[in-house]
Amino acid sequence: MACPAVPCLAQVAGLRPPASVAAGTETSISTTGSGKATFYLAGPSTSTKREVSLGEDVPLPPADVQSAGRYVAVICSQTCQSAAFYVTAAKPSTLSFLVHPSRVPVGQSDAVSGVALPFDRFRNLVVDPVTIDFHWTAGPAPLMSRPMRTRDGVAWFRASSGKSAGALEVAASLNDLSAHRVVRQVASDPCHLRIKGQRTAKGLVVETEPVHDCTGNPVPDGTIVTFTATEAKGKSTVDAPIKQGIARAQIAASGPTVISVASGIVMGNELRVEAQR
Amino acid sequence: MTALVPGTNDYGRIAHLLAISLFLLVLPRYAVRADSGPQVQLDVSKAGPRAVESMTERGVFRDYRFAWTSLTEALESNSLAPLDGPFVGTAKGWLTQAVRKQRQNGLSSRYLSQNHKVEAVFYAPEGDVMELHDTAEYQLQLLDGSKVIHDENEVMHYVVLMTPAADRWVVRQLQAVQRF
Repeated sequence: MACPAVPCLAQVAGLRPPASVAAGTETSISTTGSGKATFYLAGPSTSTKREVSLGEDVPLPPADVQSAGRYVAVICSQTCQSAAFYVTAAKPSTLSFLVHPSRVPVGQSDAVSGVALPFDRFRNLVVDPVTIDFHWTAGPAPLMSRPMRTRDGVAWFRASSGKSAGALEVAASLNDLSAHRVVRQVASDPCHLRIKGQRTAKGLVVETEPVHDCTGNPVPDGTIVTFTATEAKGKSTVDAPIKQGIARAQIAASGPTVISVASGIVMGNELRVEAQR
Repeated sequence: MTALVPGTNDYGRIAHLLAISLFLLVLPRYAVRADSGPQVQLDVSKAGPRAVESMTERGVFRDYRFAWTSLTEALESNSLAPLDGPFVGTAKGWLTQAVRKQRQNGLSSRYLSQNHKVEAVFYAPEGDVMELHDTAEYQLQLLDGSKVIHDENEVMHYVVLMTPAADRWVVRQLQAVQRF
């Protein structure tokens, strides 16, 4: 320790701080000597100065030691002496819980992830290990539970999405604290696309059967289905959104036509329609 | 026919170009050495579960170093302006309080000769939070007016939470601990 301006010492006998203090706990620093002196306290969010009497304890109110970190206490009369101590986080009182994504297709591996960080009531990160329980619930049924020990103040998970569309509630709990997040599970890509069609005066009307993913969840309305009509004079394509579970399109074709259907990377059956009579 | 053997003037030009090239090669290194701001080394090799990409690494390095430059300026000049941008949340709240209290009591702090050895220990699966461990060495001076009341070389351990903002990484938590 270098003291160019005034003599000072790091851990002097005349200034004895607490070994360690939990955030927001009243404590004191004992001093020796006699007479008046100026006392300083510098911490992560504080910087105080006041007159004290040497030989008496200097009380530190809870408000002075709310932020976790290193504090330096300095006492100056004719010379200055200083000592340092640490304030540690108090017991956890809130959980920061980040879950991604907010919407996920069913049946995807490692598609849902979450990170939980415990903080005390002064927003200090609790770095001492604690066990956080993660719970997954879909509807009334609990799906899974996994306890995770925090490391450096963080616990995290990665999990696969379920098989049924609907709300997946993910909760992180620590003693009586808990934080809940909801992930909307939606149908995955369409599976077994099947179409039927018929001729009309204006051409062909084709439509899918109700579109589901491979686990039977109805594919959301708005998903695009592409119909392709191939006839002797060429090929034409129509994109149609699913409405109430079914995609429908009208195609202008008069000769023998082959209709195929696809949505994303999924192909459906082919439909052969004879020429108009 | 074009001459392939350089003449005397050509040798002079080549020597001149070599001298300029050497100067330009040396210049950036010198500039880094002459910089009196915080020295930062960042190691992301142990971060997980998400791997830190090189663009992210550069961003975190640049923004963490800038955060310390700003902190140093704020606490030395008792100005809140440097804290806008690099700090958010708890870190900004704490530093704002510290600056206000210093100003109220006529105190200030100097963080000199800073050397930060920073290790990324956690990078969230979706990249929305990163935890760093910073072993920082610096000289801390506390001043009452112009009088130095404390002057000490310190080795500190900081647990840091950084999150991505619109165009930079910001420090959300900067918490000193006794040991990692």
